[in-house]
Amino acid sequence: MRRLFAPCLLALSLVFPGASPEARTPPVEVVVTAPYLEMHSGPGRGFPVVYVVGRDETVTVLFSRTDWFKVRAPRGQEGWVRRTELAMTKLADGSPAPIPPYPDFASHRWELGAGYGVFNHENLINGYLDYAITDSLDADFDLQQALGTIDNRYIAAFGLRHTFVPEWKWVSPTAGIGTAYEYIQNKVPPQPLQTRNQLAYVSAGLRGFITRRFMWRAEWRKYVVFTNQNQNEVPEEWKLDLAVFF
Amino acid sequence: METRLGSVLLATALLTGCGWFHRGEKPASQVVAEDPPGDPSVIEPQVKRREVKTPKIKAKDVELGAYFGALSIQDFGTNPVYGVRAAYHVSEDIFLEAFAARSKAGTTSLEDVFPNITVVSDAGRYFTYYDLDVGYNVLPGEIFLGKGRAFNSALYVTVGMGDVKFAQQDHFALNLGVGERLLITDWLALHLDVRDHIFETNLTGRTKNVDNIEAVLGLTTFF
Repeated sequence: MRRLFAPCLLALSLVFPGASPEARTPPVEVVVTAPYLEMHSGPGRGFPVVYVVGRDETVTVLFSRTDWFKVRAPRGQEGWVRRTELAMTKLADGSPAPIPPYPDFASHRWELGAGYGVFNHENLINGYLDYAITDSLDADFDLQQALGTIDNRYIAAFGLRHTFVPEWKWVSPTAGIGTAYEYIQNKVPPQPLQTRNQLAYVSAGLRGFITRRFMWRAEWRKYVVFTNQNQNEVPEEWKLDLAVFF
Repeated sequence: METRLGSVLLATALLTGCGWFHRGEKPASQVVAEDPPGDPSVIEPQVKRREVKTPKIKAKDVELGAYFGALSIQDFGTNPVYGVRAAYHVSEDIFLEAFAARSKAGTTSLEDVFPNITVVSDAGRYFTYYDLDVGYNVLPGEIFLGKGRAFNSALYVTVGMGDVKFAQQDHFALNLGVGERLLITDWLALHLDVRDHIFETNLTGRTKNVDNIEAVLGLTTFF
């Protein structure tokens, strides 16, 4: 039976390489340097301590979930260790445990977020991706849907955003410019003269950090819709987003 | 004593014999002298510098999965709903979630009583939505199954917004939900959710807020 089982496992690991992640990457093994290391039954502050590993013993770090790390004790017991406690362990060569650092709020690279806003008196759903070219200059890409009683608009916007004092953690002012493209679906007749329009915008806003990976952003934008009519439409938008940053 | 003397003599004879046989060969000092200049070492160290790679700890904060259940579309009966979900766990308390799902509405009571009346066309009966939510794990804990099994779980609440496309019109919808996540293994989770999609419509004659409550069962994996 075992003879049959082994080739099946091998075939499975070839077909699903993700099935055995430990086989591909060497496991991270750390030595406890504090008097003891507490292992909880779950990745949360309320879960009870189910096992304790002593000083100089080696534990295998399997993976992380938020601020908790799943570890395996020398005798096979598994449990969750708090990030701050795992940070006190060391690798076998004495170097610190390779815990990925928190993204730095002032110099992070990526933001991914979504939020609510109002575009020209219409409800707005906003999703955005932001790449920091420098600490204070960001390239910003938004996908928006404005849902009104008369029409439904899809807006894709691309712009540059300047953060005035990126070191200010809780609140920092921003300003930006950009271009956008909108597609209008009418809910009630008459059909608008132009359903696809080019836009440009200026923006002013605020941004701040809530936790080590979580942030907020508020922004006001003034758009100009370039149309063939005598007068350009100048809608206003404000929005509040929540985002994670990397 | 004799034996020792004999073995010393034998060894001397052997050594001199070896020396005799090697007479024609160049002395060792000459061999060394013929080595290319500038390379004075006799033994080349064959030690390769090991590249020490610090292993990485994999983060499993992303959850992807699918769900199905029953969606009660106000005035249009209860119908099956199928959807997909993605989540990112920011901290042990907070997570961000996105959903997309589809259902098909039944008939209103009016249409049942008067079969000639059509409130919504057949193509407009599709109820399609997407949602962007933020969730909070209110009651994390463990669920015990029998004597020897414990599963990590969490009761969570979600709030968010999205677009509901129904009767061929897009509606801005507020989304309120409560759910239970049960981790079967560290990477597989079972979800039981109840969510309400609230939006304003005038489909049945007067403008009103409609509640569209769904109860769904989902399965997700952590990456």
